[in-house]
Amino acid sequence: MKRSTRRRLIQGALYAVFAAVVLLIVLAADWAKIRSNFFDLDVAAASFPEIVTIAAKNTIVYTAIAFLGGLLLGLVLALMKLSPVLPYRWLATGYIELFRGLPALLVIFAFAYAVPIAFQWHPPGGNAGAGLIALIIVSSAYIAETIRAGIEAVPKGQVEAARSLGMNSAWTMVTVVLPQAFRIITPPLTNELVILIKDTSLLFIAGMAIGDRELTTFSRDALTSQANATPLVVAAAMYLIITLPLTQLVAKLERHNKRGR
Amino acid sequence: MLAALAAGALALSACGGGSDDAGSGSAEESGLNLVSEGSLTVCSDIPYPPFEFEENGEYTGFDMDIMKEIASGLDLELAVQDVEFNGLQSGAVLAARQCDIGASAVTITEERKANLAFSDPYYDSLQSLLVPADSDIASIDDLAGKQVGVQQGTTGETYATENAPEAEIVQFPSDAEMYAAIQAGNVDALLQDLPVNLGHTEDGSFTIAEEFKTDEQYGFIMAKEGSDELVAAVNEQLTALRDNGKYQEIYDSYFAQ
Repeated sequence: MKRSTRRRLIQGALYAVFAAVVLLIVLAADWAKIRSNFFDLDVAAASFPEIVTIAAKNTIVYTAIAFLGGLLLGLVLALMKLSPVLPYRWLATGYIELFRGLPALLVIFAFAYAVPIAFQWHPPGGNAGAGLIALIIVSSAYIAETIRAGIEAVPKGQVEAARSLGMNSAWTMVTVVLPQAFRIITPPLTNELVILIKDTSLLFIAGMAIGDRELTTFSRDALTSQANATPLVVAAAMYLIITLPLTQLVAKLERHNKRGR
Repeated sequence: MLAALAAGALALSACGGGSDDAGSGSAEESGLNLVSEGSLTVCSDIPYPPFEFEENGEYTGFDMDIMKEIASGLDLELAVQDVEFNGLQSGAVLAARQCDIGASAVTITEERKANLAFSDPYYDSLQSLLVPADSDIASIDDLAGKQVGVQQGTTGETYATENAPEAEIVQFPSDAEMYAAIQAGNVDALLQDLPVNLGHTEDGSFTIAEEFKTDEQYGFIMAKEGSDELVAAVNEQLTALRDNGKYQEIYDSYFAQ
């Protein structure tokens, strides 16, 4: 057998296996049931417009707060970890190890329930506020490490050049090192942002008022009242509607940055 | 090594064949269309004391004890799975055949009957309002502007929404979070089934402000389709338990005043 014939045969066999698997799945699934349980158009329509005006809006607002807060706190932590002053370094390292090692759900629980009991203090913004503080704390632990790696990836020569021009070290960090660092870490930061969008679904553990519900809590609620899983599918679609354009935008930004270098 | 593997594979396939045979065989016998032949697979949202909770590594409680009796009456092993109430009461868990029956303090309602098959009622329930002992909330009319914790998807939530329209309703996934929330002062009151709230009054920090007669009854839930025989068998067992005094015995061990 010629080698090209053999290759074509193998390829053909692989296609056949693929088609057979797809066919099997299609034949085995109970499509009528799937349609009535997960893709009921009337139920889907019933979740509008609240799923956009309340649930998706809250998901986006929560993510924005958690990400911006996490970015600020993460930057401080990263600088602390790179600080020549030892206690700062220890503090930052301990913080990062602690909150990176704990599940976000437990941290949210701690801030919603344990902190008020221990200190007789309620975080601002009610239960959602308590959950958001927890999300900021968790995300800052990850973001700090990402920023630190970005700062360390900026070539030493850049700092040396800036300092030899007479800039002090703080000014060098702000105008020379950090812009380059953030350019380098755009992809992992995007990742963190997308993870945060999904982590807002954990806020339900803190208890949610009607107007505070984000996509997941909202759809679980609708699942109960409609006794149909379609709202979960609608929520899933909403998550994708939020994340996909976002990642596209960042990819575009990244290409733009590369050209700028 | 190879021999061991081969033996293992043989044993596995033998097991598979065996259980298959047993499955179809006893399915014809029992006719109960069970998820796993030979055992009654029960789904429950645990913990929800005194109906279901863990003690010494075992699930127990009023629902669980009744289930134990029903399973042994049907000559079946009892297998308990901890699931989320939301999925259970919407019928999704049962439709997906994760378990045969749900025993989770589920109130019988007309809405739920659209997606579930209920057994005969096995418990008369009251709703109630739990408040801190030093609270000035004395009844459901004092709830305007206050935060009331409810469990998502329960009849307590429905009752609160309908009867305390000016209260801020806060949804929680289960009683565990609700109780933590009222301890933390995140909510001013909890509205849910009386026996569960009663459990929270034991240390004296909380008290029942009001009880609500809602004519609610609990039923065991089964899949809407294909469980007619199981429903009949469970009802038969329930009647037997009431007749032989076993039901009262279990009832008294949890609810005797």
